[in-house]
Amino acid sequence: MNKITYTPRVITAAVILILGFIIAAVPKNTTTPFKLTPNQILNELKNGNQYLEPDMIAQMIVEKNPSLQLIDVRPQSEFEKFSLPGAINIPIDNILSPEYTDILHQDVMTNVFYANGTTHANEAWMLVRQLGYLNNYVLRGGLNYWAETIMNPQHPANTSPDDELARYDFRMGASQALGGGALTTSAPADAPSASLPKPKPQGKKKKVAGGCS
Amino acid sequence: METMSKKTRYMNPYLAGVLLGLVVLASNVISGRGLGASGAVKSAIVAGVETIAPGHAESAPFYKKFGDSHKGNPLNNWLVYEMLGVIVGGFVSGAISRRLTWRVEHSPKITSKRRLAFALAGGILFGIGSQFGRGCTSGSALSGMAVLSLGGFISMAAIFGTAFAFAYFFRKNWI
Amino acid sequence: MGPLVVNEIISENTNLLLAFFIGIGFGFVLEQAGFSSSRKLAGMFYGYDTVVLKVFFTGAITAMLGLLFFSLFGWVDLNLVYVNETYLTSAILGGVIMGVGFIAGGFCPGTSFCGAAIGKLDAWMFIGGLFIGVFIFAEGFPLWEDLYMANFMGYPRISEFFGLTEGITALFVILAAVAMFWVGEWAEKKFPREEY
Repeated sequence: MNKITYTPRVITAAVILILGFIIAAVPKNTTTPFKLTPNQILNELKNGNQYLEPDMIAQMIVEKNPSLQLIDVRPQSEFEKFSLPGAINIPIDNILSPEYTDILHQDVMTNVFYANGTTHANEAWMLVRQLGYLNNYVLRGGLNYWAETIMNPQHPANTSPDDELARYDFRMGASQALGGGALTTSAPADAPSASLPKPKPQGKKKKVAGGCS
Repeated sequence: METMSKKTRYMNPYLAGVLLGLVVLASNVISGRGLGASGAVKSAIVAGVETIAPGHAESAPFYKKFGDSHKGNPLNNWLVYEMLGVIVGGFVSGAISRRLTWRVEHSPKITSKRRLAFALAGGILFGIGSQFGRGCTSGSALSGMAVLSLGGFISMAAIFGTAFAFAYFFRKNWI
Repeated sequence: MGPLVVNEIISENTNLLLAFFIGIGFGFVLEQAGFSSSRKLAGMFYGYDTVVLKVFFTGAITAMLGLLFFSLFGWVDLNLVYVNETYLTSAILGGVIMGVGFIAGGFCPGTSFCGAAIGKLDAWMFIGGLFIGVFIFAEGFPLWEDLYMANFMGYPRISEFFGLTEGITALFVILAAVAMFWVGEWAEKKFPREEY
């Protein structure tokens, strides 16, 4: 019977073969959170991709879109005084708390941060974006702008272009629906309905150069 | 000068390979990149030209390209620091293993002069080739293979394949 | 989670300092393996010394397996690790020129610095040649700029190119390397040379 002498060559070959079979068999780990660098966050801020318009949110509420999740980032007292339909309250001070991770780090719901203005909502967005979470957005203009456009829409002059008039009709209907009243008008067919901006997939942004350059 | 007359002990190649792999691994985990060598020479050339002829460095496309992608002093570069380390590491290893002597290493069948001439020619060719290849055996081939880079494999195949193909013509220098 | 400098766990300056230490490790191992000797390096192509084959492949495979396992355990994010670019024409052309340079000079840049560190004058000549060669390339750049930039294929990994997983690709490389270790051993028995 032949005995194998355990030369370094045999040992090396055996070890790498075993490890090779293991690594070939094991499925890849793809759940690593992707952290963004400050430059990447700045670019996203400049592009303003995180904003969603009040019209769109109003439409989603009216249609009872199940993927919408409004998140009020103001303190609890303000939330209790007034909040948007279906909103939950995650005050910005607590946003990093582990109990909210499942809400913020997921790919099913469309989370929309809002506050009175946009500052705190943007802060919340930046924090979770830095952690690499997707599907989190900011309501443009916050509640203040919401009040102006949706709750109390200004009637445009009768000579305004058609889409402005259509938008006004839509907002009137939405404000009735959202002002607590029964749903009377559904959103008009030609109301502006932009598709949800898909966050650009952050590709291989190498911060370091390599090779021999 | 004569070739080495006494035997010297080198490390077992498989062990050396594992250690080398660990160095490459550390490099990737720490700096996000593999090793390299020819890039340091490139940095030095750019630095030299910038010092001696700054006008040329600003206008000629090669130097300009380098300057655009590298801010600051061209020598303040990962590869340059790495190569300084290589020199120190090689020296320490040579010192420990008593291999430190000035000599020209060549086959007993040729002269030192011939060896030096070919070394120079080989260096010039490698200098040109490494720029085309965007890396040499350390940067492109070794580190490239470690990250499964296609360019790395192509480089390696081209370098080793060509060397094998031309080995016959240079055999007098070595065997 | 690595890479440490990309995820800003260490600063850029620390990175440069560690580059120095990584270089020390690199130079030390290369010299210990005998890569400071041009005769050992060239021996690969005549069969009498296959140290290059063994060290090179073992090294690449160790690093490859290391990275894949680190990624598995979440210790490094492979998306952030540099994969060098592939310019097909330039890579092949450069490789061919380097191949001739290798068999003529008996060194490659990394090993030449090792050899120079221990006093090999042929290594010094090689390094001198490197500087001249890079300079020639730099000065003549407009002449071959088109070749240099031709056929850009991005930064593909072999696994992506062939549609395999990284693990399986690594296994293929390992199988090839193991086969070559045995071929190398056979070659050394068949082409022995006196001690040098």
